[in-house]
Amino acid sequence: MSQDVNRDDNHDVEQRLRAALRPVDPGAGFVGGVMARIAAERPHSARLPRTRAAASWVTFALAASIVLALFVAHQQQARRTQQGLEARRQLIQALRVAGDKLDLASRIVNAQQPPPNSSNSGA
Amino acid sequence: MSADEACTSRALLARATAGDAAAFGTLVRMHQRPVYSLALRMLSDRHQAEDLAQEVFLQLYRSLAHLESEDHLSFWLRRVTMHRAIDRLRRERRYAAVPLADAEMASDSADADPILERRLRGLLEELAPAARAVIVLRYQEDLDPVEIGRTLKMSVNTVKSHLKRSLALLRAALAVPGSGAGGGSPTPPRPLPSGHRSLI
Repeated sequence: MSQDVNRDDNHDVEQRLRAALRPVDPGAGFVGGVMARIAAERPHSARLPRTRAAASWVTFALAASIVLALFVAHQQQARRTQQGLEARRQLIQALRVAGDKLDLASRIVNAQQPPPNSSNSGA
Repeated sequence: MSADEACTSRALLARATAGDAAAFGTLVRMHQRPVYSLALRMLSDRHQAEDLAQEVFLQLYRSLAHLESEDHLSFWLRRVTMHRAIDRLRRERRYAAVPLADAEMASDSADADPILERRLRGLLEELAPAARAVIVLRYQEDLDPVEIGRTLKMSVNTVKSHLKRSLALLRAALAVPGSGAGGGSPTPPRPLPSGHRSLI
């Protein structure tokens, strides 16, 4: 019984809401207002691509600068590595030559000295 | 919408997308009533509603290329209008708004009760924005809960819960007698229970 009353009340409120929320028209100048706002926005839209183009150029220039800086840094690093390797190669070469010379000198000195046991061999 | 109207709308949409301002003006004229009404029922202020509706059409003008059909256009307009209105209400935290002018209350129906309708709209203004949006879409646009959920990005259960609670609150506030009479009383509406205002 009470459920029926509630359902009737709900139906009543729904009907009243539908009546209270009937769509209404805006003022007579509404469409004109929309078109005026669109017209006012057009110069802004026209400017927009130029602004966007400028922004994209700046972005491109920044990106190119970064790439160039990275490339130069990489080149310098490679050159320094190459110089280091060359210096290492020369140092090894110099050490090898010095070692050979020391070896030669040592052999000469050893050859000039009489063997330590040769004077006592006949006694 | 008849087949001819749908065809005309599609053609208008295509022409407006191609940059035909007159076609866009006609589209605005065709859709101004529902868009403005939604904004008006949400914001309860004629000037703010016109401003918001114009913003919606301005956004439509920029988004024409993304719209595929007349149905998509109607759905898009409803969704953008409601979301913009809810955002504006939340920003301003203005649930109980300035009452509409009497001229706005004028009804075109002979058996309408303007005083009761004003009371109902006054009570509606006390609902939280999301709950108000659900009620407006249900009883102004005649959408079902699934369509309301899609428009407001809500689950169907949330929509049904809003509907049930809001109807119960409105019914209680109106204190509708079982006979269905008594709406014409000039007494001010009983406000909604304060605990429910911002919950729904």
